[in-house]
Amino acid sequence: MATASGTFTRFISPSGVSPLGVSAVLGAWMLIVILPLLGLVLWSFLKLENFQLVWEPTLQAYRDLLSSGRWEVTVRTLRIAAIVTLIELALAVPFAVWLAKGTRSVPVKVITLAALTIPFFLSLSARTIVWRAVLGLNGPINSALMSLGLIDQPLDWLLFSEFAVIVGLIGPYFPPMVFPLYLAVTLIGDELLAASKDLGASPAFTFRHVILPLALPGLGAGFIFTFIPMIGDPVVPELLGGGQVVVLASSVKSLLQVLNYTVAAALSVFMLAIMVGLAAILTLVLRGRVRRQST
Amino acid sequence: MTETSERPAPASEDILAIDHLHHRYGNVTALKDVSLKVRRGEFLTLLGSSGSGKSTLLRMIAGLEMPTSVDVFTLEGRPMAQVPANHRNVSTVFQHYGLFPHLSVGQNVEYGLHVRKIPVPERRRQAEEMLRLVKLDGMYDRPIHALSGGQRQRVALARSLVLKPAILLLDEPLGALDEKLRLEMQIELLSLHRTLGMTFIYVTHSQEEALTMSHRILLMSNGEIVQEGRPEDLFDRPSNRFAAEFMGMENIFTAEITAIDGGVISVTVNGAHLRGLWTGKTQPRIGDPIAVAFRSEKVKLARDKGALGGDANRFEATLKSRVYKGKYLDVVAASALGDVRLRLWDDHVVLSDQFKIEWRPTNTVVIPID
Repeated sequence: MATASGTFTRFISPSGVSPLGVSAVLGAWMLIVILPLLGLVLWSFLKLENFQLVWEPTLQAYRDLLSSGRWEVTVRTLRIAAIVTLIELALAVPFAVWLAKGTRSVPVKVITLAALTIPFFLSLSARTIVWRAVLGLNGPINSALMSLGLIDQPLDWLLFSEFAVIVGLIGPYFPPMVFPLYLAVTLIGDELLAASKDLGASPAFTFRHVILPLALPGLGAGFIFTFIPMIGDPVVPELLGGGQVVVLASSVKSLLQVLNYTVAAALSVFMLAIMVGLAAILTLVLRGRVRRQST
Repeated sequence: MTETSERPAPASEDILAIDHLHHRYGNVTALKDVSLKVRRGEFLTLLGSSGSGKSTLLRMIAGLEMPTSVDVFTLEGRPMAQVPANHRNVSTVFQHYGLFPHLSVGQNVEYGLHVRKIPVPERRRQAEEMLRLVKLDGMYDRPIHALSGGQRQRVALARSLVLKPAILLLDEPLGALDEKLRLEMQIELLSLHRTLGMTFIYVTHSQEEALTMSHRILLMSNGEIVQEGRPEDLFDRPSNRFAAEFMGMENIFTAEITAIDGGVISVTVNGAHLRGLWTGKTQPRIGDPIAVAFRSEKVKLARDKGALGGDANRFEATLKSRVYKGKYLDVVAASALGDVRLRLWDDHVVLSDQFKIEWRPTNTVVIPID
């Protein structure tokens, strides 16, 4: 019994993580992430008079938001994010299946995975600015189309348009879609694919009834890593939209530039609500499906 | 052995014929000049250690891999060499079952019927019937992860059987089960085979499984068929050194031929004379490199004049070690041949340090060293 009391004083949680460490991490998390967010929410319910915050709760900022035509910006942002996400899906699913199951060659896999990470070495702006030269009036695409005789005039909607923004977003958001999908497909046992074939299934049937349902968690993660950050990304739309394609993130920036802090805060809270809402819906949908297939 | 004799003999018609099949992975030869014929209704076992090519051969028959070259490859009389798995009327029970974790038991069993666009109610009816056959009645809606290993095994069986394949291929299906369950499943597989009259090709590394279950065994090593025959043939008459070792002949000695008298061969081992039966494929000649082999349980203690008759192989022996195993006694004895292993089943055996051992020439095989 004497030893028992000794054991109690030296209690270590079953996970082997000290409670002190956990509270330290939680404290830092609160300080760095949650507190500024709460500040943001607080500001969105205040108003500015003569560039001074007035400390009484009001919905003025949200009213301004509604009346200032930012719905259009919201719809455009969501539309661009949705289109790019769909394009990423169409490209990434076959690519991930090929990389995980289609090729047995280890060098091919290593080189491909490395090639997918290399873009991260360069800043997003540097990678994006290249598209200006490619899509511009005198760029290679317009020259090629003209020399082929397909068009007489250079296409002016190639650059500084929603089209340009979509093209520019495809590259940077491809790896975050591919990686979780690749991992999910890798986890599908070869024996399952052999069994499906053995039972008479065509590759398309196997894809639809085995690969896709089992890769669903990867699909969900890929969606979260592409669609949601794209809503908050101002870089590509600004560089390739040329002021024509205003998205929510740039809207926040321009509000900040005119020192309209409360409306900027309200818009940020609004964006945050969209993202959290989407993530929550996705989590609920996936959880239902994943639970059924968990082992 | 009684199991085998009770079963109906397979028909004389060949359901599968393969001639001169070769397979290479890059520079590695996986299968070398494999030829086999399988009769309708037969229970054929591919026996061999890991890397012997038995699973590769099964995957070839399933169509999951295509042979590098083959002269004849017919299933039910139709050429199959280049037909992929999803167009072959065979079905595989995989080693780890390959069950779809996101589908229920019933949906797993129905998978092949779903592929074949069978209407839902009919699918369900057939699946339920198959689940009854493998004793999983009422498990239709269970998720796979809620099943035990033995139950998963049965689902995999039902999933293949429901398609009524010409041949059911089984790739070490009992490997993942514990001893008791394995014996139960052996009996159940045999009874399924009897009920359905289907052709089974069974891959295993266990000689015990092969002996209990098969009509015929193909023993494989290094991508080749080393010996083929009934369980009795392989057990009692291994035709080469590898087969003798694999089938558990504990006493194998390199020997020299001194005389050939029909099937009976006289040999010397370290100057000691003994006789045995030739089991090799080609007739031996004096001077060929050969070995002599016999089972430890066939070696008896010779009392006085010897009980096995005048022509028995009989030697003086000195006790080296004895291990009590409950049912029997394992003894190693030094003799003129070298160390001989005996397995004595007599409860009341009293061993002195010096004794005589004997065994019949008909229980002794003379085999080529390849």
